[in-house]
Amino acid sequence: MSLMLCHRAVDHLQNGTRIMASLRCIVVTPEKTVLDAKTDFIALPLYDGEVGIAPGRAPLIGRLAYGQMRLRSGDTVDRYYVDGGFIQVTGNVVTVLTNRAVPVAEVDPIAARQQLANALKLPASTPELEGIRDRAVAQARGQLSAARAAS
Amino acid sequence: MAKARALEKRRGSIRNIRKITRTMELIANAQFKRAMDRVTAASAYTQRITELVDDLAHSGLDVSHPLLEQHPETDRAVMLVLTSNRGMCGGDNGNIFRVAFGQYEHIVAEVPNVEVEVSGKRGISALAYRKIELQKTYTHFENQPSYKDVEAVANGLMDRYVTGEIDRLDVVYMKYLSSSKQQAVAETLLPMGTLGEDQSELDRGVDGSGYEFQPSVESILEEVVPTSLRVQLFKCFLDSAVSEHISRMVAMKGATENADEIIRQLSMAYNRARQSQITNDIMEVIGGAEALKS
Repeated sequence: MSLMLCHRAVDHLQNGTRIMASLRCIVVTPEKTVLDAKTDFIALPLYDGEVGIAPGRAPLIGRLAYGQMRLRSGDTVDRYYVDGGFIQVTGNVVTVLTNRAVPVAEVDPIAARQQLANALKLPASTPELEGIRDRAVAQARGQLSAARAAS
Repeated sequence: MAKARALEKRRGSIRNIRKITRTMELIANAQFKRAMDRVTAASAYTQRITELVDDLAHSGLDVSHPLLEQHPETDRAVMLVLTSNRGMCGGDNGNIFRVAFGQYEHIVAEVPNVEVEVSGKRGISALAYRKIELQKTYTHFENQPSYKDVEAVANGLMDRYVTGEIDRLDVVYMKYLSSSKQQAVAETLLPMGTLGEDQSELDRGVDGSGYEFQPSVESILEEVVPTSLRVQLFKCFLDSAVSEHISRMVAMKGATENADEIIRQLSMAYNRARQSQITNDIMEVIGGAEALKS
């Protein structure tokens, strides 16, 4: 009996979370809070691959890469370009700390291509210089892929 | 009538000056509020970064990063001086120069090669007057320095530090303490030493070990350190912008009050001169009439 009750409680809890399930997404840059909205699902570019976050995810701290962030609420998908930084997930609150967050439509593909060309020309003779170059290249490629997603 | 007219003219020009100073005061006031909003927004970011560092510290990590380490020999130092592009802001720039010259002497005594970089036209002319060689100058940081511009400067300096080209970075700027107190300070940003003073306050109630770190704690740390430096430099720029607006507000308020005082005195002198002139005229008329009668 108590087991059944317990099960029912769990069911109830799951249904409960499913009904009111939504994530609160806060995007903060050093200049302003870009976004503070409720959403159903978030996909983010992490340093070593994309991560998807649905409500009820375990706490996470992650390092962001350069690329597009997708926010899905209902049938609409908002796409933003995020410029590195961090993500912190606690409870159903997702905090994105990034240098720059803009809707993908505002990313300039021509400037990004130019940046990529410049970045590829950087010297990579020592490990430190190689690291600097890799970062510049990754940033330019992230912008390009975000711009491509917009078109 | 000559004296009264001269006074009237002078009063008119003081009135014009008063109009200008009063307008500048209002503009400075508005810009100060906007700059203050930016400082608040930036501190929201800084606070979250600090929390993140706290959580990282909870995971019992040994913090090490090239930016935190001191180079074995300090051979080349960079001093960055943040001044304003415009004058009319009281002692703001003067105070910065005083600290900057002191710091310059100090660094030159310790380090063989010193590069000086300056932001703001005021600083450029003041240091050029002192015959201090400037390696780089920036004049594009206006009332509201954008993070993108500051980031570019910070990245350039960090890259040079990591590759061993420079061994030290000092920033001289006006630190905002409160709206009634700002102080010109020289701070050493590189090497960073520790990641803020938050290492000691580890009891924040939240257990950081509950976090999953992706891809790894080391990788996150690799990014946290440069980010916190960038934010620190951004804060310096914001602080100096806010301080400039406050100083200008105070200076222009003083100027407007002084103009009011001068106008009051001139008005009084003008009225006296005018009255004595009229008395004189009447005396002359009466004198003339008396002369005709006899």
